[in-house]
Amino acid sequence: MDLDHFLRDPQSRRRFFRMSGVSVAGASAVFLAACSDDTKNPVKIGPDESDQADVEILNGALDLELMAVAAYKASAPKLKGSALGIAKGFLEQEQEHADGLAAAIKAADGMPNRAKASYDFPVLRTQADALRFAVDLEHTAIAAYIDVLPKFSQNDLRATAASIITNEAEHLSVLLDALGRDPVPAAFVTGQAA
Amino acid sequence: MADSLPHPRVPIADGEAGTADVAAFERDRRELLRRGFGLGGVAIAASSISLLWSVRTAFADSSTDVPIMQNLITLELSTVIAYDTLIDGGTLSPALRTVLRGFRAHEQAHADTLTTALTDLGGAPPPAPKGPAAVDKIVKGLGAVRSQADVLSFLIELETAGVAAYFDAMGRLGEARLLQTSATIMANEGQHLAILRRRAGRDPVPNAFETGEA
Repeated sequence: MDLDHFLRDPQSRRRFFRMSGVSVAGASAVFLAACSDDTKNPVKIGPDESDQADVEILNGALDLELMAVAAYKASAPKLKGSALGIAKGFLEQEQEHADGLAAAIKAADGMPNRAKASYDFPVLRTQADALRFAVDLEHTAIAAYIDVLPKFSQNDLRATAASIITNEAEHLSVLLDALGRDPVPAAFVTGQAA
Repeated sequence: MADSLPHPRVPIADGEAGTADVAAFERDRRELLRRGFGLGGVAIAASSISLLWSVRTAFADSSTDVPIMQNLITLELSTVIAYDTLIDGGTLSPALRTVLRGFRAHEQAHADTLTTALTDLGGAPPPAPKGPAAVDKIVKGLGAVRSQADVLSFLIELETAGVAAYFDAMGRLGEARLLQTSATIMANEGQHLAILRRRAGRDPVPNAFETGEA
């Protein structure tokens, strides 16, 4: 699949993330409600109290992180110089996220999901393609984490998820900068492309 | 379950405090208050504490989101004061001044959004912080900034403190909407940090978990 088509076509993107095992991608009803004008009726956090609910959420996040690791590996042949160095560093950090999430899942007596044998990534022809694809993945990850943030039953997990969101946002800024775009285009980082 | 994930250490103006230590302190303090002692308040009043520490105290005392929001608003408005002071200081290149003006506008937007959310909750906005002294309660040294390198170092410290404050708030906010909005702000502060670090010649993204650790 051509990258431009992938980035322009929401159906292609949704199908891609679904087929990649990513169950939490995209803006949620909770997040959209949060952005609405209905500020007089705020949504209360209502987590499922069980560890099992946390495990399902953590495994959704783990799917995303494993896909990001694979994506950065797949992008490497198209990158050189400082862009390659950036991608290697970010790959390591995505792997750290995955390792932390897997450990948290095991600690809750859950079974961490494994990486897919292969991912049907769009064709990346140039360095700019690879960077644009990484930008899209980082946006998707941020939106997904913000989606699930209130659903964690444990406060520590919410804080840790926020620390991952912030790290992905930092990746986003560096990638945008490498593409010559405004690295901090908005005051609120929602995972929706500006 | 979260024991396998990093235990952050959060920088405050008077030194470092481990989150676990702060939590233990707060537990002991709440227990004393339940038993009728006023030790917590006295101990806090007697110490020279930073805003971040007082933010945590408000979190510990609160069963609502209002004091948390008030402290975050004070933090944002104090950060705006710092940006104004440094932008007007005359030590910046035109390019960096433009970048910092953008970041300053973001901080004001955070304060405005949090203030709207606070009033919707029925809370009263906190008194507006005034002058560089307000910034000293978060990170000391604004008055000692002399060069562009000093500006970058100071702002890296300040934005790091901002990330730390939101990281603490994440475990305490009670409403989904506020939690998500605060996360979008924390992420933006992280982006400021990444760009400031890069301008200062440092690794822009040194940690996989951005907790506000110095």
